[in-house]
Amino acid sequence: MGKHLDRNEASLEAAHLSVRRLIAEKLRYLVPMTMIFMVSYIGLTALAGFARELMGTRVVGSLNLGFVLIAFNYLLSWVLAITYGRIAADKFDPLAAKAAMETTELGKPR
Amino acid sequence: MNLTLGIFIIILLITLAITYWAAKRTSTTADFYAADSALTAAQNGFALAGDWCSAAAFLGFTGLTALYGMDGAFYALGPLVAFCTVLFLIAEPMRNTGKYTLGDIIRSRMQTRTSLLAAIAGTVVVNFAYLMPQMAGAGVLVRLLTGISYDWAVIFVGVSMIVYVAFGGMLATTWVQIVKAVLMLSAGAIILLMILSLVHFNPLTLFAAAEQKYGAKYLLPGNYLKNPFDQISLGLGYTLGLAGLPHVMTRFYTVPDAKTARRSVVWVMFLAGAFFAGTTLFGLAAADFVGQDVIRAADKGGNLTLPLLAQYLGGGKGTFGGDLMLGFVAAVAVATILAVVSALTLSTSGAIAHDFYVNWVKRGQVEGKREVWLARIAAVAIGALAIALGILAQGVNVAVLVILAICVAASANFPVLILSLFWRRFNTGGVVGGMTVGLVSSVVLAMIGPAMRGAEALWPLVNPTVVSLPLGFLGAVLGTLMWGRDAENEQRFDAFLLQVHTGVASE
Repeated sequence: MGKHLDRNEASLEAAHLSVRRLIAEKLRYLVPMTMIFMVSYIGLTALAGFARELMGTRVVGSLNLGFVLIAFNYLLSWVLAITYGRIAADKFDPLAAKAAMETTELGKPR
Repeated sequence: MNLTLGIFIIILLITLAITYWAAKRTSTTADFYAADSALTAAQNGFALAGDWCSAAAFLGFTGLTALYGMDGAFYALGPLVAFCTVLFLIAEPMRNTGKYTLGDIIRSRMQTRTSLLAAIAGTVVVNFAYLMPQMAGAGVLVRLLTGISYDWAVIFVGVSMIVYVAFGGMLATTWVQIVKAVLMLSAGAIILLMILSLVHFNPLTLFAAAEQKYGAKYLLPGNYLKNPFDQISLGLGYTLGLAGLPHVMTRFYTVPDAKTARRSVVWVMFLAGAFFAGTTLFGLAAADFVGQDVIRAADKGGNLTLPLLAQYLGGGKGTFGGDLMLGFVAAVAVATILAVVSALTLSTSGAIAHDFYVNWVKRGQVEGKREVWLARIAAVAIGALAIALGILAQGVNVAVLVILAICVAASANFPVLILSLFWRRFNTGGVVGGMTVGLVSSVVLAMIGPAMRGAEALWPLVNPTVVSLPLGFLGAVLGTLMWGRDAENEQRFDAFLLQVHTGVASE
């Protein structure tokens, strides 16, 4: 659990501002990333439901488009997971640390 | 069969030793519900894999692929993709905001008793809907594998889970899940290697053999899920339902911070994802080597496909290798069920003892030591109820309950959780509206659908998520608007966001 701190209104405002910046940064990456996997996966289920013949198009030997798209979705999920980990460490964590520091620092007795 | 029993007794002794070790380290409420939040990312990743892969995943996906081709592969993919939602939107906020339960988050956001009650309802319904078929499945499986009767099998599974949870709390549950995950992944790796060596490390051979044996239609979608909207419902249910399953989400409380929670999701995505991908190859190999007729003869639903495949790969029926492989896979299947039912019991005891009794009835005024005892008693009571329900469920079609659990999780818990975390205006009315509409629409539509009523279904979809999920969101939004503005709640939202995104509580 977080730390419980005393601090004045103005300092809290600074921390809230940092959080808003963090959220804006998160949205910048997470909205497209969420769209990518939702479109790819729900799109695949829709194709499976409504375009069964298309899914049967042969790609290599007996392997058809459906199985290739399923394999693609596995890879995509893994790539997105690694990418998210990187982005979070590089972009989100410093901003979160900044907001947390603002609340901690200003809570200290002067 | 004796070999199965022998291997299983070894696994059981290991889990009991774990419980003994864990019980000595479980004294506070934080120990009991969250293993003192001291796990590493890898430990929690393995435990998540143990938690999330139920028998339906371990046995079911392979069976579905063997009997129905591509639809089985679809079933296996969804549970991996689901973790994208959890990774991006849920895992870190969960860790930063809550303490022991899903209800904690709603309570911390709304600070009203009514919203807490709604959250409890969501957890209890989902958990029991999930727990009952697991118990019934355990009964059938243990009976098939060891020869003991259904009732005794259910009692045995129930008593084991009560012992793990009541004595060892989250620590024991976690390590039971880790052991199970290691066993499951080892079994998967061994089977995969054996299959690949048979096809000269060219998996395409499996597709060619399957096509030759069962025709091109076998490799097309739609052999199992006939209605296209059921395909989409399945996809939506998985991608958004996982985030609403309390017994999986509470795993994020067992790590010290949001960064570790995040890394543990990446771990589970590779561990469980690799296993899910493996099941597609296992299924194709089973259809090829074992044959659909033999699979159907052993179990109509195909649930014994993986044990049969293992037996074939080990050298076939009657050989020592074959019996050993069959025994190993069968014992892992039982361990799989134990790991999942324990997590469900623990999470339900959190909803009853922590959310309902301590926070709702007693308004938080319960001393720590007493709360741990209440949690243990709740675990015993829930376990006993699960045993009774499991025995009553014999012969009843419980498949509808599995659908219901994931559907309610996606349609009631998920909208309420996501709106609590991200929407300033969201209020108690929205929690109640979303929970009620999501829950009622899921239950009613599942009950009047083909899973329950067969040919006399009043509604065409087995899985109603594609309709009930938007209804749940609609209920949440309408509930919020009808409740009116809650100025105090909206003002508090900045402090709440600070906690959601940094873990710092500013009150």
